[in-house]
Amino acid sequence: MENQAGCVSCGMPFRSIEDHAMSDPAKDYCRHCARPDGTLKSYDEALTGMSGFFQHTQGVDPAVARKMAAETMAHQPAWRGRQPAR
Amino acid sequence: MKRAEQKAETRRRVLTAATRLVEKRGFQRTRTADVARATRLSHGAVFVHFQSKRALELAVARALGRVLTDRIHALAQEGASFREVLQAHLRCLEEHEELYARLLVEGPLLPKGFSQTWTGIQSAVSHHLLRVAEPAMAAGTIKRQPPHLLFNTWIGLVHHYVVNRKLFAPNGSVLRKHGRMLVDHYLALVTP
Repeated sequence: MENQAGCVSCGMPFRSIEDHAMSDPAKDYCRHCARPDGTLKSYDEALTGMSGFFQHTQGVDPAVARKMAAETMAHQPAWRGRQPAR
Repeated sequence: MKRAEQKAETRRRVLTAATRLVEKRGFQRTRTADVARATRLSHGAVFVHFQSKRALELAVARALGRVLTDRIHALAQEGASFREVLQAHLRCLEEHEELYARLLVEGPLLPKGFSQTWTGIQSAVSHHLLRVAEPAMAAGTIKRQPPHLLFNTWIGLVHHYVVNRKLFAPNGSVLRKHGRMLVDHYLALVTP
C-alpha cells in the first residue's frame, strides 16, 4: 500500500494538488483547514470545522462530534497532544 | 534486500495474514499464534512488528480504512451522478465485504483508536454522497431533507444487508447479489 502524505491539521490524505490549501503543494495543510487567505486555521477554528462536518454529514451529537474531532487532531503534527479548552 | 526492507516486508506479511484470518474468523477468534503459523514466524516474532493483539487488530482496521477511503475517492470522481456514487460505494464495500462485515459487528469491541478509523471511512463516504446530493436537493431532483438523514438512511440500509448477509445471500457477496436492488430502492425513496 502506498504511503500517502496527509494534512498536518486534520490528517486528510492529499490525493491531488487541489486538496492542498490554495492548490499549493508547498502547503502541508488541506483546503478545509485553510482560511480564505490561505493561512492555516487556528486550533479552535479547525476543531469547529471538523466537528461541524461530523454533525452536518452524519448527525453526530455536538459534544461527541467535538470529542471525535479533538481526538483526531491530537494525532496530527500541527496539534499533537493538544486538547480543546473546556 | 536491506534489513529495513526485510522488516517492512515481514510486517506486511503479518498484516496480510492477520487480515485473511479476520475475514474468515473475525477479530475475537483470530489468535496471534495463528497469525504466526500462517506467516511461518515464531509467535514472538509477531510481537516485534505489532506490540499486542490489539495493535494488530487496529492495524488491520486502519489498513482497510485507508483502502476504502482511497477507493471511494478514485471511483466517485467529479461529475459522477448520485446513482454512480452509490454504486461506487457498494463496489468498494463488495471488494472487502467480509472484512467490512467483521468491522461492523465487532468494531465497538475494538480498541479506542478504532473509532477514528470508522469515522474516517464514513466521513469519506458521506463527503462524496453529499457533494452530489446537496446540489441535487437544492435543484429539487432529490427530496429536500437534513443531509445527515439522507446519508444515514443509505448507510442503515446497506449495513443491514451486510451484517445479515447470510440471510440474503448465503453463497456469496450480498452486495453483488442485491446491490442494484438497494440502489434502485434507495433512489425511489429519495427522488421526488
